[in-house]
Amino acid sequence: MSARRVALALLVLLALEGQGGRGAEGQQVSPGAASAASSVLQRVPEAEAILGPLVESYGVSGMEAPVRETVMRFLPGWAKPETDSAGNLWVRVGEGAPTVVFIAHLDEIGFRITAVGEDGLASLEQEGGFYSSLFEGRPALVHTGSRSVPAVFAPRAPDAEPRHTPPALRLDLGAGSRAAVEALGVRVGNTVTMPKNYQRLAGARATGRSFDDRVGCTALLLALRRLDPKRVHHQVIFVWSVREEIGLEGAEVVAQELGLTVARVHAIDTFVSSDSPLELKTFAFAPLGQGPVARALDNSAITPPTLVDTLRLVTRPRFIPLQIGATNGGNDGSVFAPWGAPDAAVGWPLRYSHSPAEVSDLRDVVSLGDLVQAVAEGW
Amino acid sequence: MKGSSPARLLVGLAAVSITVATAGPLHSQDRRSEALAERMAAMTAVTGYEQAVVDSLLRLLPAARRDRAGNAVITLGTGEPRRLFTCPLDEPGYVVGGIRDDGWLTLRRVGPAPSPLFDQQLEGQRVTVFGIVGPVPGVVAVRSTHLARGRSASDEPFSIDQAYLDLGASSPAEVEKLGVAVLSPVTLAKRPHRYGQELLAAPAAARRGACAALATASLGTPAGIAPGQLVIAFTVESRITRRGILTLGNTLGPFASTVIVDGGDEDLGQLSEAVDTTLPPGRFGRASLWSLPRRYGGSPVETIALQDVANLERRLAQAFVGGR
Repeated sequence: MSARRVALALLVLLALEGQGGRGAEGQQVSPGAASAASSVLQRVPEAEAILGPLVESYGVSGMEAPVRETVMRFLPGWAKPETDSAGNLWVRVGEGAPTVVFIAHLDEIGFRITAVGEDGLASLEQEGGFYSSLFEGRPALVHTGSRSVPAVFAPRAPDAEPRHTPPALRLDLGAGSRAAVEALGVRVGNTVTMPKNYQRLAGARATGRSFDDRVGCTALLLALRRLDPKRVHHQVIFVWSVREEIGLEGAEVVAQELGLTVARVHAIDTFVSSDSPLELKTFAFAPLGQGPVARALDNSAITPPTLVDTLRLVTRPRFIPLQIGATNGGNDGSVFAPWGAPDAAVGWPLRYSHSPAEVSDLRDVVSLGDLVQAVAEGW
Repeated sequence: MKGSSPARLLVGLAAVSITVATAGPLHSQDRRSEALAERMAAMTAVTGYEQAVVDSLLRLLPAARRDRAGNAVITLGTGEPRRLFTCPLDEPGYVVGGIRDDGWLTLRRVGPAPSPLFDQQLEGQRVTVFGIVGPVPGVVAVRSTHLARGRSASDEPFSIDQAYLDLGASSPAEVEKLGVAVLSPVTLAKRPHRYGQELLAAPAAARRGACAALATASLGTPAGIAPGQLVIAFTVESRITRRGILTLGNTLGPFASTVIVDGGDEDLGQLSEAVDTTLPPGRFGRASLWSLPRRYGGSPVETIALQDVANLERRLAQAFVGGR
């Protein structure tokens, strides 16, 4: 969209403001918006059918294969997926300039085994940033590549200092010796997680570990499944990336591969929301259930204001709710900066990030898929 | 995590301890106690709110009845001596303390915290609320890691006053629709976890394993118990009031001997016996505690060996017929 068209469209948008809102509190909701909201609710089961299996796939950074396989299971028949040398999964749609990239990450936080002691207890290092206290004294799974071996994250000794942060966590496989651990097929380098499952909560809410960024992965799939490739008049590349949690490493490979050819990138990743009684509301307040969020400012990227405005223009005619905010964290789109590609990151509001209890609203997941489709087709 | 057994906090034990070494693989007949231990470890019985578990026991044990305290009790034989074998059913937990206008719930712990880090076990975890129409899943809020960056943070343990329970509801009306109200019991969501060599991890796994051993032992008793009366009881409120066991003493006692089976902090594979000096004299006779050993006691992965459950069952069955 040219700058002139953007300016014109903004004028139209401003004129329309006040003639029916986005459904926010106290505002009148237009018939179109009400119908769109109803459609979103009806499509929640479709989103759950994809999100559930993705959440229940395990993929600590560097070991994303099970998640990648689940993504491939939900691709539309016409898609021709490719996996690059780093493990990123690509699907290209349309041809010609401008090239636009959507990128969501496959990996999740977890641990990696660094050593196994004579007593059979394994030492761990964290993959990604999170409170280790949330894993202390919990069931565990070691992912050997061929199977998952059950274990527990040993709690600290009863006489240890009662601080919030535990000492370095160790893993107990119930084996009793290093030899017995090895007999289970467990090796240094294996990744470790907590068992997890997808759980629906009241209303349209759901919980599960690794919603960050399986919701983003789901949104890309929802968009692709609804997308008519013939309606895409330029090249759009959908990427499910690896190793985001440990430094945006997979995205770096994609950015280097595409270099100066990328006109714009959209990281589709969590908007960590302060919508919780425990959080300061000084920023990042995006209530659950009120739609995707333009992640206009975080610790890694700034979306040019004109792109935020254009995002509003693209979503409005389709009655896709959009919140705009600033939060913390980094996103995959930021590594395209050296090639001059702006990053218009979009997320959805998430509570309790990087915990076993992440909570989202499924209406936001559906709307995020709609937003990705709208941007791919109309921008 | 601090690992003192809840029972041990209440039941001061004399220092006399007899250790009984146990070993050997699980036999097919042991699978009954193993399966029941796993099943019972998935159950919830917050102190004072045990009746759902008592209902399950009454269905499992046709000879059992509910007494005036809410205990499940089996009485076999008549006359003297009267012997009591009992296990406590309850566990530390919470109830809904309040419902906020925005739909979040606050919590009230039932009784004192068993350890300084007990409340922290809730932070950022899945929980179950037992509402009037059934179990309702929820999570306890935790600060988002990302939003804590650059902000000073205390290293004090998480406390119950920071526990906001999220059911996905946005208003008190939505909470009410779920059948959840003030005083609905709340515990960590339970998914017993098998690992290693026949190990089972779950909150309060040892206590539940001990009760499973007592229940399965009781299923084989009618044929030949020792002379006198044998009372087998699964008791409520071992914490705070001890209403369950004290009522037994006053309704079916005085007993010549009492055996409490419960979890203990011995090494796995070591069933132990100790003298109990906390029960009131005169009603319970010679009182002892038989412990099912546990690892990581009081934590969400309290671990027991299923072989120990089977061995405890055998030992109880022998005692019922008068052997040791």
